[in-house]
Amino acid sequence: MKRDDFLLEIRTEEIPAPVLPGAREDLARRIGDALSEESLAAESIESYATPRRLVVWARNVPERQADRETEVLGPPAAAAFDPAGKPTRAAEGFAKAQKVEVSDLVVVESARGKTVAVRRKVPGRSASEVLAEIVPRAVGALSFPKAMRWGAGERSFVRPVRGVLALYGSRVVPVEVMGMRAGNSTVGHRVLAEGEIPVTTPADYFQKLRGAYVEPDDVARRKAILESARRLAAQVGGRIDADADLAAVLADLVEWPGLVRGSFDPEFLDLPEEITTTSMRVHQKVLPVRGPDGLLPYFISVMDNVADRRGFIAKGNEWVLNARLADARFFFREDSRETLESRLPELERLNFQDRLGSYAAKTARLEELTAAIAAAVGRRDLVDDVRTAAKLSKADLTSRMVREFTDLQGVMGGIYARAEGHPESVWKGIYDQYRPQGQGDDPPREDAGAVLSLADRFDTLAGLFRLGMLPTGSKDPYGLRRAAQGAIAIAIARKWRMDWSTIARKALSLYPADLPGLAPDRALAELESFFAERLRNAIERAGSSYDEASAVLEVGRWDFADAAERATALTEARRRLDFRTLVLAFKRIRNILEGETAADPSPELYREDAERALAADFLQARALLEELIEGRRYSEALETIASIAPSLDRFFVEVLVNAPEEDVRRNRHALLAAIRREFTKIADFSEIVVEK
Amino acid sequence: MLTLQRLIAELCAFWESEGCLIEQPYDLPVGAGTMHPATFLRVLGPEPWRCAYVQPSRRPSDGRYGQNPFRLAKHLQLQVVLKPSPDNVQQIFLASLERLGIVAAEHDIRFEEDNWESPTLGAWGVGWQVVMDGMEITQFTYFQQAGGIDLAPITAEITYGLERIAMFLNKVDSIYDVPWTESIRYGEVRRIEEEELSKYYFEVADVELAALLLDRSEAEAKRALAAGLVIPAYDATLACSHQFNVLDARGAVSATERVGLIRRVRDLACACARAYLATRGADRSPVTEPEPAAAV
Repeated sequence: MKRDDFLLEIRTEEIPAPVLPGAREDLARRIGDALSEESLAAESIESYATPRRLVVWARNVPERQADRETEVLGPPAAAAFDPAGKPTRAAEGFAKAQKVEVSDLVVVESARGKTVAVRRKVPGRSASEVLAEIVPRAVGALSFPKAMRWGAGERSFVRPVRGVLALYGSRVVPVEVMGMRAGNSTVGHRVLAEGEIPVTTPADYFQKLRGAYVEPDDVARRKAILESARRLAAQVGGRIDADADLAAVLADLVEWPGLVRGSFDPEFLDLPEEITTTSMRVHQKVLPVRGPDGLLPYFISVMDNVADRRGFIAKGNEWVLNARLADARFFFREDSRETLESRLPELERLNFQDRLGSYAAKTARLEELTAAIAAAVGRRDLVDDVRTAAKLSKADLTSRMVREFTDLQGVMGGIYARAEGHPESVWKGIYDQYRPQGQGDDPPREDAGAVLSLADRFDTLAGLFRLGMLPTGSKDPYGLRRAAQGAIAIAIARKWRMDWSTIARKALSLYPADLPGLAPDRALAELESFFAERLRNAIERAGSSYDEASAVLEVGRWDFADAAERATALTEARRRLDFRTLVLAFKRIRNILEGETAADPSPELYREDAERALAADFLQARALLEELIEGRRYSEALETIASIAPSLDRFFVEVLVNAPEEDVRRNRHALLAAIRREFTKIADFSEIVVEK
Repeated sequence: MLTLQRLIAELCAFWESEGCLIEQPYDLPVGAGTMHPATFLRVLGPEPWRCAYVQPSRRPSDGRYGQNPFRLAKHLQLQVVLKPSPDNVQQIFLASLERLGIVAAEHDIRFEEDNWESPTLGAWGVGWQVVMDGMEITQFTYFQQAGGIDLAPITAEITYGLERIAMFLNKVDSIYDVPWTESIRYGEVRRIEEEELSKYYFEVADVELAALLLDRSEAEAKRALAAGLVIPAYDATLACSHQFNVLDARGAVSATERVGLIRRVRDLACACARAYLATRGADRSPVTEPEPAAAV
């Protein structure tokens, strides 16, 4: 079969950087899947994107589908032909309905026995024809958090679509996307290249594009940014912080990344570094430059241009950055006239949530919760400090800095607390209270921050769950999923093993009893499954499979750190040990017992060698197991559990579990129940999927 | 030197050459050029519309007593609306910069996501802030909804922040140093006014009067609507919106009240939009067409 490459380029106005990688991957996946479904699987699919284009390159797509044969079944052969082999009315009717001659009918073996059928040859369709159907569907199926319409307002996409290129080999695929007919030309960089660029083949496309100042590969753009930034920083004796996130965003804001270095007024170096770097990174989207002793008065800016020929770009950025820093300094000085303590009355007027009251009320709850958490994790010595941190934690929300630079909430409070001479655990606690902001962000550095962050998360979750405002689908306006995820991440990072339901219950109880919505018990049940789902994500992200996570969560879900550790041990053990026999045995036990509970087995009722052997192995393993689990030596514990597999297997082969004598039968159930009870403290093996 | 008044003249001349009708500023206090009926009402319905105008925009809470070099209680926007949005609207916008002497290839010009929403107008749109050499110079929005009504065709709205652009082009560190003419600076024209507006909105404005005016204007808007008078009803709605801003600057709006007040203004704006659509017609809707020679 002849094969050739398919190339698709959808040109748009600037797609927002945050959705660009997802859109690129999603489009490629949809096209790849659709090709496979149509029996035209590509050998590989590559995807590229710039703010102004989404590109999919499917390599070696077959030129045509193979011809197929279809079969339509009709009446049974016995009814279609009389004993003489003459077609009956049934055969004639079927042939007519299928628009074939009676002589075209064949007899085949089907599930119904000998059956009359029509066979047709369906010629395969060309890749080009199939692609013309697949592409608009794939593009139409992309979903965006905020889609828009333009022009006549008939079509909806993330930004207006302005052109399409679609080539199979060197031929245009006759496809229409969002009202644009595909052609064989592209356009280059908006200001550095001019006119339409004809393209002959997919390989030609990439070469022409780079010649027209467009780098389609985001990885290459990111690499170019980081390399040039390092070089420019080194020229002034500095380096850039490893800032992969910002580099990735910048790479998705430009088609051809050029870099330029600028400087700012050194007097701003007196400001707390967090303010200066936030101005640079978040607001100006430029990279700070660091020397051996702290920040240098330079920045590196990415531009969608080859060069700053007349110096306008560096000058413009310098001017804006100096203005921003002057603004920040003004706010910082204004704020420093007050203390966090003196700001507290203002929190009475600042709403946390309409029905959950003010931030002053939240702060009061946080004092209770932080004290409870600190005691529960064995840091009674921290109780006073975390209470103080909790009391002052939200005061910075009334500061001008935070009103202007919302990303600095917490951080500013920490800086002000440090300046006011609060102890390190207090100011660092305030500083770190919103960490981690999301996946990949670091948890709080120390215990006080971890306690405060956990308290804040439990308080927010408890309040909104009490109101029944659970996240649904993509709607999570209060960021509750992230809140729970962060709480789990902190507990795991700190290795704080405890039953977090006590804290959840306490958090629920700190709200007024008469809140409309869910009763505290219902809210707790909802919280449990909500946390379990996030915990499952965390476990799976750490490398466990879905069924391993299920097995672990089945036996305990409120001790996040312990569950994570059990999952790691299980996943790792399954690589070394053969669990198949054990898993099948536990599935069997589950089916036999079906939830029945039993007393301990009595040795005098054992009848067979195999059950005596199993009982002996069990007792020996159990003694060892208790000690191992107590010491959280899960890996060794799993080895011990796995060691019983041969005798379990032998038991099921040689022993009739449901013996005719009731007492013997009951005793056998009791033995199995005891094994199940003792051996599933790490994971419920019956949840694990194995081949039969 | 590109003076503020030259900047305005050049942009108006440019957009005139793109087939825009040059409107005049609306004669009531508004928070943004979007609130001018030439935008808010004209984006409704199917009639093509191209229009540009300067709109002084009053935001009492942004007053800084003439002290802050970047913020004003009243600033100038140059507003352009193009309905339906042309296919080459970004290129036309870049051409407008060229008219100001800005050669795109010598700068870094990016379109960065920035969506717009006005809860008081029941309006939202999707678009970008246009960032040039690190400076936000323009808001660019595809209007999706106004007065709670889904729009089709879609209007492209381009809003130039005139003081910022003038500061940037002249590389002055304060709004008040922007050359209004070759010899007169912005501060000479407006600083006293900014001081007075700030003092008034933050310290002096009569809260009870503002609340009363808000209530009465709301009632008046409803009366005008009942009489089938769309523009007077909309004028009264704008008055409500302004009095809300005055109350807000005086710190007289609590978080819970805010939601209710915004809803009241939005309900009026939505009612005006519906009434406009019901009564629009040939006499309400002059048709502007791009001049063929100007097509890019």
